[in-house]
Amino acid sequence: MTTTVPTGVGASATDGPSETAAAADSAVPASAVPAAGSSDGTAGGASPVRRSRRRKKPRWFSNSLAVIFSAVWIFPVYWMVNTAFKPRSESMTSTPLFLPQHPTLDNFVVAITQSGFLVNLRNSAVVVVATVLLAIILGFFAAAALSRFRFRGRRTIMIVILAVQMLPTTALLIPLFLIFNSIGLLGTYAGLVLAYIATVLPFSIWVMRGFFVAIPMEIEEAAQLDGANTWQVLTRILFPLVAPGVIATSIFAFIAAWNDYIIAYTFMKDQSMYTLPVWLASFVSQNTGTDSGGQMAASVLFSLPVVVFFVIIQRNLVSGMSAGAVKG
Amino acid sequence: MAVTTAPPLPPRQHTPEGSAPRPRKKHQLAPLWLLSPAGIVLLVVMVAPIVFLVFTSFTNYDQRSLFTGAYESVGLQQYVTLFTDSDFWWSLLRTVLFTVAMVAGSVVIGMGVSHLLTRIHTSMRYVVTVVLIFAWAMPNVASSLVWNWLFQPGYGVVNWMLTQLRVFGDMTDTQWSNDPLLSYTSIWMLIVWQAVPFIALTLYAAETQVSPEYKEAARLDGAGEWRVYRDVTLQFLKPTLLLVTILSIIWDYNVFNQIWLVSQGGPDDATSTLGVFMYKTAFVGFEIGQGAAISVVTTLLLLGLTAFYIRNLIRSGEDL
Repeated sequence: MTTTVPTGVGASATDGPSETAAAADSAVPASAVPAAGSSDGTAGGASPVRRSRRRKKPRWFSNSLAVIFSAVWIFPVYWMVNTAFKPRSESMTSTPLFLPQHPTLDNFVVAITQSGFLVNLRNSAVVVVATVLLAIILGFFAAAALSRFRFRGRRTIMIVILAVQMLPTTALLIPLFLIFNSIGLLGTYAGLVLAYIATVLPFSIWVMRGFFVAIPMEIEEAAQLDGANTWQVLTRILFPLVAPGVIATSIFAFIAAWNDYIIAYTFMKDQSMYTLPVWLASFVSQNTGTDSGGQMAASVLFSLPVVVFFVIIQRNLVSGMSAGAVKG
Repeated sequence: MAVTTAPPLPPRQHTPEGSAPRPRKKHQLAPLWLLSPAGIVLLVVMVAPIVFLVFTSFTNYDQRSLFTGAYESVGLQQYVTLFTDSDFWWSLLRTVLFTVAMVAGSVVIGMGVSHLLTRIHTSMRYVVTVVLIFAWAMPNVASSLVWNWLFQPGYGVVNWMLTQLRVFGDMTDTQWSNDPLLSYTSIWMLIVWQAVPFIALTLYAAETQVSPEYKEAARLDGAGEWRVYRDVTLQFLKPTLLLVTILSIIWDYNVFNQIWLVSQGGPDDATSTLGVFMYKTAFVGFEIGQGAAISVVTTLLLLGLTAFYIRNLIRSGEDL
């Protein structure tokens, strides 16, 4: 993909003459998160001889600092995985073991055979799939309208979409709880999906719109000249072109719905209707509170799909974040 | 909502000269029917609930009302109660101080990591990026559980490490969640740990765009590395820095899950921020009318910041 979603955090790449960059208050061009290991980006330009001489010491220093930083920052993840593979006797030791002496999958077996896991996994799957599908279908058409047409009120709608992203989830909790309680949707899939739509639809529209904007108008104009109507242009011409955006948006919506804890925790009071995050958070009490191995194995299982998806969409991460797709 | 009421204008067209005029009518209606499904859904699940939230904050809705459906309007009573409740002011103060501490921590570390990324070997940069993405990707329910395990009294690895340092004495059995300051510290670390990746990677993307000629010119003028960073790089980073800072403030202000899962607002409400205060009032004590008032005030306080963010986003060149 050659184009990136407008990042929001410093968009509009200006690789023009360097005078533009002189104005300190001009937009900083930053079109996307750098791909891991992208080699561009080190300050170039200086003559290599002089720079290597001058930088020798700082480079060595910086690299060591980076090693220390990485070790500290990965530690919680490493410790989770480490604990997950330890037999129970090894996770509760007065001197922590930094590698499992007898690696085992027992903890994963415990987590998966835990009462409720499969039922709650199914709940999560149903709710997340329904949320993603609805968000994509509704969001696709709305994004098309907001990017391919100019009409009065368009700008206002864009601002409203951005603004509602910043609302605290907890603000929707009370009214949705009361409404769902009075119409019998509390504790049902439908209620949860509706609540998730409220949180993911605005950013879905925002992210997909960014992909639409990158497509030249000429393409659909050509199709229209050939006699295609708006519907055909949308489904036959534009949809395949924004497919990468649809995939990225689906992943964002998946992560948001998959990770939600507080809405499901508040709405789904029956244990058979828990979603996985609620199941995960209640894992402690189910297992006498001390099974850290099982808990960490469950955390690994729960985090795995999200980590995989993050790696897939890392190029679009910043744009999604600035629209509130993945809240910090 | 504007979605359904805005009269659409003809789309922008680059009509080739001499070609027949387009059928206008169809195009005028297209954005309307494209927008209305999403518009109606958002109206139902978002706009109506917000209106209902404000409405509820003027009533005495409580646990009984959940079953009977009966409640009365009490005017501004919920707000009067709220503003005379010292718990509210403490929660607000905690929220503000905690937000400042988290934002400062994550932005400063994020700036450091971003700058570090520009100065290290390519393979090392790859490693750091992967590490950042891992920390970022962890769902916060999972990371909160991991945190509880890292800081667990008796077997927590962090307790063990701190004991090995022999600076703080024996911390093996330290109960982090029992001490207000320690509770804050562990939650602060959790939030900062997950916030730094976004900030570092965003700033790094901006930092790679800083024109090297300026840095070189500053060096030729005899500026040291620190002066180059402060007087050249930082000047270019300013707009991006401002945006990530505002976003961080908004997110950290709204933090709920991590506090709820690590300390439940305890000990003795010491880590109870506005979100936790609202949740306990509305869903533990079931004083729903009061909870709604807290929610409204919380949201209004955030509104100014959101407006500021969007204004900056537009000024930074985002085309709406």
